[in-house]
Amino acid sequence: MSSFLFQIMALQRLSFRLRQTATHVRSLHTSGCGQQQAAEAVESEPEPLSVFRTRENDPACHSEQHMGQYYTLPSTDIRTLFPHGLPGRYQQQLKTFNEACMMVRKPSLEVISYLKKTDFSKPSLRYLFYGLNGTGKTMSLCHSVHYCYTQGWLVLHVPDAHIWMKNCKELMPSSYNDTRFDQPLQASDWLRNFRITNEPFLSKIKTKQRYVWTKRESTEEGSLLGQLVDQGISRVKSSSDVVGAVLKELRLQSGQPESDFRMAVAVDGVNGLWGRSTIKKKDKSPVESDELTLVYNLKKLLTKDWTGGAIITTLSQTGSLYTSRFDYLPQELLGERGFDSMDPFLPVSVPNYSEKEFESCYLYWMDRQWLQHPQSRTEEGKKEIIFLCNRNPSMMDRICASL
Amino acid sequence: MASHTSKAFLSLGRIHVSGVGLQKSLSRATYATGVSTHTGGGNKGHSDRGGQRKGITKRNRRTQGEPRTVKMLVDQDWTSVYPTATPFRPSAVPLPVRMGYPTKGGVPPGKKGNLELIKIPNFLHLTPVAIRKHCEAMKSFCTEWPSALGTDAKCDEHFPVKVESTDYMSAAPSLRNPSARVVHLRVKLSSLNLDDHARKKMLNLVRDRYCKDTDILSITAERCPLRKQNHEYAMYLLTVLYHESWKTEAWEAEKTVADMEDYSWEESPSQKNILSMLVRMKVAGEGEEEEVREQLLGRKEVQEYKNSVTRLRNEGESESTILQYKEAVKKVLNL
Repeated sequence: MSSFLFQIMALQRLSFRLRQTATHVRSLHTSGCGQQQAAEAVESEPEPLSVFRTRENDPACHSEQHMGQYYTLPSTDIRTLFPHGLPGRYQQQLKTFNEACMMVRKPSLEVISYLKKTDFSKPSLRYLFYGLNGTGKTMSLCHSVHYCYTQGWLVLHVPDAHIWMKNCKELMPSSYNDTRFDQPLQASDWLRNFRITNEPFLSKIKTKQRYVWTKRESTEEGSLLGQLVDQGISRVKSSSDVVGAVLKELRLQSGQPESDFRMAVAVDGVNGLWGRSTIKKKDKSPVESDELTLVYNLKKLLTKDWTGGAIITTLSQTGSLYTSRFDYLPQELLGERGFDSMDPFLPVSVPNYSEKEFESCYLYWMDRQWLQHPQSRTEEGKKEIIFLCNRNPSMMDRICASL
Repeated sequence: MASHTSKAFLSLGRIHVSGVGLQKSLSRATYATGVSTHTGGGNKGHSDRGGQRKGITKRNRRTQGEPRTVKMLVDQDWTSVYPTATPFRPSAVPLPVRMGYPTKGGVPPGKKGNLELIKIPNFLHLTPVAIRKHCEAMKSFCTEWPSALGTDAKCDEHFPVKVESTDYMSAAPSLRNPSARVVHLRVKLSSLNLDDHARKKMLNLVRDRYCKDTDILSITAERCPLRKQNHEYAMYLLTVLYHESWKTEAWEAEKTVADMEDYSWEESPSQKNILSMLVRMKVAGEGEEEEVREQLLGRKEVQEYKNSVTRLRNEGESESTILQYKEAVKKVLNL
């Protein structure tokens, strides 16, 4: 463990030195690339920087020729767009390498191509990323969300629907509807992150309805959405209802001729919304998913009632409750009710790395000096890594972390 | 018994020669010979004598002869060595068999004096040669199999209901065995005349007794004391099941979607979803609701979608069914 920390510190120092001189970086890249090309006999493409990187940082311009290559996300985008969306290990990698590089892969390219072709007058379509554990579904979702962001859409990102279904410290009966329950902490967290992501829209969109929170507080018709969100963050008690109001407003207004924004709803771990929950009521009976305000309102947003946007979701077995570890197909994880609600949707499979993608990832880590073990730089070592992780991205990450 | 007594005399003779402690050794000798069986020629049964007589027995012990295996020829008649089921005799089985837990840093113990080999049942009396001999001996008592029933299919056609029961034979005080009353009845449902509703009702009535892979319904009857009674009971059960599954009761109308065995797309949420979606997308054009519905349902893409969803639900999920569903959705939504 201490050696790992030492390595991280060494790498940080190293990357800092690298950042100082761009030419130094360039020469290191090309020399590294040359060495690797000689050693690995990789088919070279006409890229000036290196084989596995691409200069094209705009997701809208990504195409088939960029498949398997890493593109860099600007750090400003990361801070606004992904305050809560990226996987934990990837966030650690961001800190270590001081740059956010994501691989362009086929599933997200497919969804982006569909997004480009969406007709905003028609009901929003649902896309579902599915695949084995650790194949990169969340990352594909983030890639598509980055595309939506660069196109100026409003991004409604729910990082993990499972956290709304378990480990709830405070469960309050809802003030709006007696049969439902509120989760103030989760709601206020989400509102905070929503505000960070969608600052520009908050001052543009106006509410169409009047909302009364308490006897003294109410939000008038025609007030800005930003005010509504601030109300939710400051008055934590009514934050779940505020979330419901925000979702309702966005749903009604999106796609209308007078509103000029497009909405992208991104939900990770969508199978949690129809699963069982571990939250218990006071009489120890489990809470149904429809009895939670947050979940109920989010489900309304996942229907096809609204136009002018798209719904991108992923399945997740890792955080899900009461599902077998080997389930990964849509019907298994969504269940009957979930499937009926999501139907018709477009399932997009996210497989393990292909040969080319594995090469690219390996070269990236060699370039970042992440693989320190001498044997990992040899052909034998590479074959060993392939054998151990079966080209599964998360397994490869875990194995190479200790090298 | 004769052989035992002769052996007793032999041993008595041997002890007489020693001449010391006659009475004690006599009793001991009789006990020892009572136990000894076909040990190959030697004094093995007599080796455990107790400390007192050790010196004398050692002096007068007959040397062990060669085990029989040494004298066995390769092409001998094995059926005469092991004509019936008998425990394992290491000196009579010419195989270098090892059995048991290996010793430390060693191998499993050998066959000589190996209790593990004696405990287990062996089939040395049932070699192919022995079985061929049995068959030859039984042939004179058999009749020929009818030539008209040459294949399994023909047997199923003419004799769809198969009844199986077992007879038991043992040398024991009583001839009867309570397990002999069990009767198994097997019939293929395809040979019964059942329509769709009758088949589903039959499957619900019998549950576990039906095997989907082989389409065989097995009824086991063992509640009556006699085989004849069990056989009649099994036939009665089959008759009752058949007639009951053809009847439709009033309460069967309350069958819900959850009870259905197969997934039917009509009136399912999936159908409602796709129709409402297409209506919203204004694909069909204006018109009465019913007309629009009919028009949409008649479309090729919608039919394809219906097939893919039905396949997904009935057959379960797999990569191919999901891909088919994906293609169908793309076509329906014009992506």
